[in-house]
Amino acid sequence: MNNKTRHHPDTSMLLEFSAGTLDTAASICVSAHLHFCAHCRDSLLRLDQVGSKFMEDAETQPVDDALLDNVMQQIDRLDELSDATLTKVTSEAKGVEGDYPPLVNKLIEADDKPPRWRRVSGSVDMARLKTGPNDFEVALHRICAGGKTPKHDHGGLEYTVVLKGSFSDERAVYSEGDFILRKPGDTHQPMGAQNGECICLSAQSAPIKLTSPWGFVMNNWLRISPR
Amino acid sequence: MTGRVNALQSSVKRSDKWSVLLTCVGESRDRSAFADLFKHYAPLIKSFAQASRHEGWFPGLNEDLVQEVMIKVWQKAAGYNPEKASATTWIYTVARNCRIDMLRRKSNTQHLPLENEDYWHEPDEETPTSLLQQKRSEEKLRESLSQLPREQDEILRKVYLEGKSHAEASKELGLPLGTVKSRVRLALQKMQILVPAEFQDELTHEQ
Repeated sequence: MNNKTRHHPDTSMLLEFSAGTLDTAASICVSAHLHFCAHCRDSLLRLDQVGSKFMEDAETQPVDDALLDNVMQQIDRLDELSDATLTKVTSEAKGVEGDYPPLVNKLIEADDKPPRWRRVSGSVDMARLKTGPNDFEVALHRICAGGKTPKHDHGGLEYTVVLKGSFSDERAVYSEGDFILRKPGDTHQPMGAQNGECICLSAQSAPIKLTSPWGFVMNNWLRISPR
Repeated sequence: MTGRVNALQSSVKRSDKWSVLLTCVGESRDRSAFADLFKHYAPLIKSFAQASRHEGWFPGLNEDLVQEVMIKVWQKAAGYNPEKASATTWIYTVARNCRIDMLRRKSNTQHLPLENEDYWHEPDEETPTSLLQQKRSEEKLRESLSQLPREQDEILRKVYLEGKSHAEASKELGLPLGTVKSRVRLALQKMQILVPAEFQDELTHEQ
């Protein structure tokens, strides 16, 4: 795994991820970023250690011996079962094939209706992913090489992780593994790199707002629809 | 069992007792090592369960969590790598994941595609640190954690033990969200936990 990621989730986001208090959609993007970023994986391990110290130093609560017996019986049963079910199934990604972080592959495979690319503008395709919670939309975006996307603002928080290739906006170039958070009021116009298509994972809490006068044409495509 | 533990102890040298026992469970399905782990960790996990202030958590779930976590420990022990984390850190992450999954299952009737442990799937890689370094860094962390000012310790406890988000912590403590976040940042700085967003310049120099 490379260490070239330049854009990372901030301290409190990583800490909330470690403590398990970060919401699902943000967690999906942080998890995808961790797949690429050894530095954040290292920080995360240290944050997990903080949590473990709190657990370790707390006053213990007595546990009845019967609970141990119960667990022992359950693991006996599990061991009998496991021989039969241990064969691992590696299912192929359907429709939106690609070399994604395991969590993204799992989302794609878990969907009973395989996600498909849909054209949303001249140079952008999108495939929505089903995640369960319904206040966020999680999707893959594919920008073709050199493709321009419409200039837009954000109605809510938008998390993005580059899974393949790179894109740029007015502020920076983002490549594989980079984590980007956009807030309401952040206007940008992403552009795909010239040397190949770019695939991003994104989660957003509200529809983006187009700032160009032609925006209304796109409105139907850009309505957020959590699955 | 003692013979096996000794043999492992030399290969997993300088590791703590619990990490050696957990390695035994992973490598040879050692039931008596597992029972020892249970006796040590079950009371800690129960205490961790009891600390939860999540909406919808109730005392009846405390022992359910202990059972679920210890069964997961049995099932997943083969994947435990003592060079990466101590047994306590590893079991803590299992407990954290189970606690969240229990809450999610309670509040969602629909099937959820992801379990919390899916978020922590990591690519195989060479361990960046030796066992000794890992142990030293845990000891240093413990020391600096015990020296944190109360106001910082209080927030970390709310987040890790009670399961409160920064936003919830800010509401409960009557502090602006920005103050909560800056206390967290200060605490992490004191513990020398490098979180790259704040150290991007250093990172680019390293390359």
